[in-house]
Amino acid sequence: MESLKQVSSVISIADLTNEEIEEIFSLADAAEKLRADRTASGQIMATLFYEPSTRTRLSFESAMQRLGGSVISCSDMKASSTAKGETVADTAKVVSSYADVLVVRHNWDGAVQAMAEHADVPVINAGDGSHEHPTQTLCDLYTLRKEKGNLRGLTVVVCGDLKNGRTIHSLVFALARFGANVVTLAANGMALPQYVIERLERDYDYALAPVATDDLSAVVTETDALYLTPKQPHQLALYTQVDQVIQARLSNMAAGLRYDAFYMTRKQKERMKEGATDVSYPTIGPNFLRQQRFQDTVVMHPLPRVDELSPEVDKDRRGIYFKQAAYGVPVRMALLKFLFDRCAKKGGAAKRDAISFQSPEPIGPQCRNPNCVTVKEPVSSTRRFEIVSPGQANALILACSYCDHRLKVQIAGNVVSKRYYGFDSSLASTFSAWLKKGELALFDSIKEAEELGYEPFKSGPQRVLMSEAEMGGALSSMSAQILRDCREPHRLLILGVRGAGSQLAQRVANEIAKQAKGKPEVGEIEIYGSADDLRRLSPDDSNPEPLNLKDREVILVDDVIFTGRTVKSALSIIFRSARPRSVRLAVLIDRGHREVPVKPNYVGKHIPSSESDRVRVKLREIDPGERDQAVIYTIMNPAEELRKLPRNAEAAAK
Amino acid sequence: MADEKQIVLEQPELGKTIRRMAHEIIEKCAEPNALVLIGIRSRGVHLARRLARNIEEIDKSTPPVAVIDVSRFRDDRVAAQAGPVVGAFEIDASVDDKTIVLIDDVIYRGRTIRAAMEAVERLGQPKRILVAALIDRGERELPIRADIVGKNIDAVERQRVNVRLAESDGIDQVMIVDWRS
Repeated sequence: MESLKQVSSVISIADLTNEEIEEIFSLADAAEKLRADRTASGQIMATLFYEPSTRTRLSFESAMQRLGGSVISCSDMKASSTAKGETVADTAKVVSSYADVLVVRHNWDGAVQAMAEHADVPVINAGDGSHEHPTQTLCDLYTLRKEKGNLRGLTVVVCGDLKNGRTIHSLVFALARFGANVVTLAANGMALPQYVIERLERDYDYALAPVATDDLSAVVTETDALYLTPKQPHQLALYTQVDQVIQARLSNMAAGLRYDAFYMTRKQKERMKEGATDVSYPTIGPNFLRQQRFQDTVVMHPLPRVDELSPEVDKDRRGIYFKQAAYGVPVRMALLKFLFDRCAKKGGAAKRDAISFQSPEPIGPQCRNPNCVTVKEPVSSTRRFEIVSPGQANALILACSYCDHRLKVQIAGNVVSKRYYGFDSSLASTFSAWLKKGELALFDSIKEAEELGYEPFKSGPQRVLMSEAEMGGALSSMSAQILRDCREPHRLLILGVRGAGSQLAQRVANEIAKQAKGKPEVGEIEIYGSADDLRRLSPDDSNPEPLNLKDREVILVDDVIFTGRTVKSALSIIFRSARPRSVRLAVLIDRGHREVPVKPNYVGKHIPSSESDRVRVKLREIDPGERDQAVIYTIMNPAEELRKLPRNAEAAAK
Repeated sequence: MADEKQIVLEQPELGKTIRRMAHEIIEKCAEPNALVLIGIRSRGVHLARRLARNIEEIDKSTPPVAVIDVSRFRDDRVAAQAGPVVGAFEIDASVDDKTIVLIDDVIYRGRTIRAAMEAVERLGQPKRILVAALIDRGERELPIRADIVGKNIDAVERQRVNVRLAESDGIDQVMIVDWRS
């Protein structure tokens, strides 16, 4: 039973294989027959909606009744047991004894996954926060397939709010799986989150290239990106925002593309920050309809709409969004039928087999997404993560198993030896061996590890490379140089790499303020981030306007430069966002060993180091009680070290 | 077009320069078998082939030469005709765990290299990426460096650095041309 419910639930579009989706589509084609056969006679579906919805809920209820089954529902979950403080886990447990399938919408990311883990019957995700909405995606794919015959090779333009729209993220992944091209046209500041782009690149070999707006100006005024399938991509992949001439060429190339569909999204006012609601938003209107090249392009929309589609589109044959909504019922009938059949067969499909990490210690990494179910209601979920990258730079990248948000972990420990280590890519294989044996502990900070009685491991003495006074002097002279090289001080943007880099960026900005008239704008860039990879730090961090890098003089600031890969990633993120006038790099310490052709413009100090050395910059803002200093020490492979400590290990094992 | 021209490099020095660059590539790459040269079209490709020939003579091993098509979109060649792009990447060798040398005739703002660098990383995970340029004219707008440089040239913004190579232009010659509009 335990495995069955997990297998049968549909939380993400990833829970269904391409073959299963095709199977569901064939069932949907035969919806009339399913209705006549009263396939689900005697079965009960419960709908639990914690967030308002008309379409999704009514189409589910209609689907179930057409299948001959019956529906129980609670009109307002917020006003019911939830108000009395019942957890989603308990609700799922209780209601699953009343029904044969649960359909849940919740405003927390990952809540439906948590409920599926506690329910004894299949659970269907009808939208969880800004995470996923798989049945909407099924309807979208089905509509495209009905209209265009096939999904492979289609070019679909997704426009509008690509950041907050859960339907969009599901849809983009699904289109990728079926080999469709995806062109994105985001409203300003609402681009696809970085983790979606990374997953497209990593899992589906998609390549990213920008397209100039002129080409699509019939529709919108914003610029964004073009994704192409692995068949034709490398041509475009090369020319990521090189310069305007290339931009122009790209738009010519894009002009040769056939656009099969425009997928508009709604302005998600309820998910936007205060004050960000009046940004310009793309719309489709008569201009679009008149364009010769869009004559076979269908217009889709998940509905409800606000004002993205003008009434003219309703009357046009290309506006198929009402049809798309109508397909909601046969598709959901097919999905229910499919799940009931699979339950009757006692499962059968394979479960996703990602390596997941669950902390063996009472404290461990926590999802940073404030809307994640693991944060909102820890008792209903277990903190579980999938390991995304086994060691990029000096951090391990985890993804929350509930909401997919990324988390960077830098401190790892061994449960047996009770030692902790700063994560290092050279230790990746050792750590993955520990993970398999259940010995790996991960911590958000050194403090956490020490609270649990873990001891640090470092070999050899720590040597101070830079004292407090030296650091202050270096920052002040670097700031003076930056100011001297700067053409327009008011266009300057000091961009720190999140962590020590952001603190140093603030200090550089303060130095510049001392030496010049005003304080330049300060921002932060998150290399491994999930959604907001570029953020404003000062003067006003509550300003909802996205950080604008276009034509700016950007000073990228980090504490230590080593292989240069962090800077390379930062440049990619910067150029995906906009084309700055220039990017210069300031680092406190250059320790050599570059692996990419990156060169800092301003360096506090050059330190010769060996590759197994660790250089750490301690700052009083980050390590309270510590003085500003930079230290160097040597690390040893912990596997070797463990062998040297047999007594310790045995004692701990007992 | 009363442009003022000044020749800064020609044969036989140019041949010697390329020879020296080949030596530097070998020196910077510990394992010659794990080397891939990527020429940025079009003159970068001619240079990559020449460097490969030189490396072969010096080291008795021939590194594979791959091609990235960025040159026809370069900002100093505005008049380049539009049209479909064919074979942006011509590469047979794997880049995983290899030392990649991106080769171009002139390095200037750094934007071409940045784009090429990103493109290369999409092909796989190279161990290291180096940049070799026949001419480095400075004035970078990005924190990108050339690891191996044939010749450094100081040229002001209105000047153009023209690299002509026998393979495409019938003569080996680098000159600085003054724009006079």
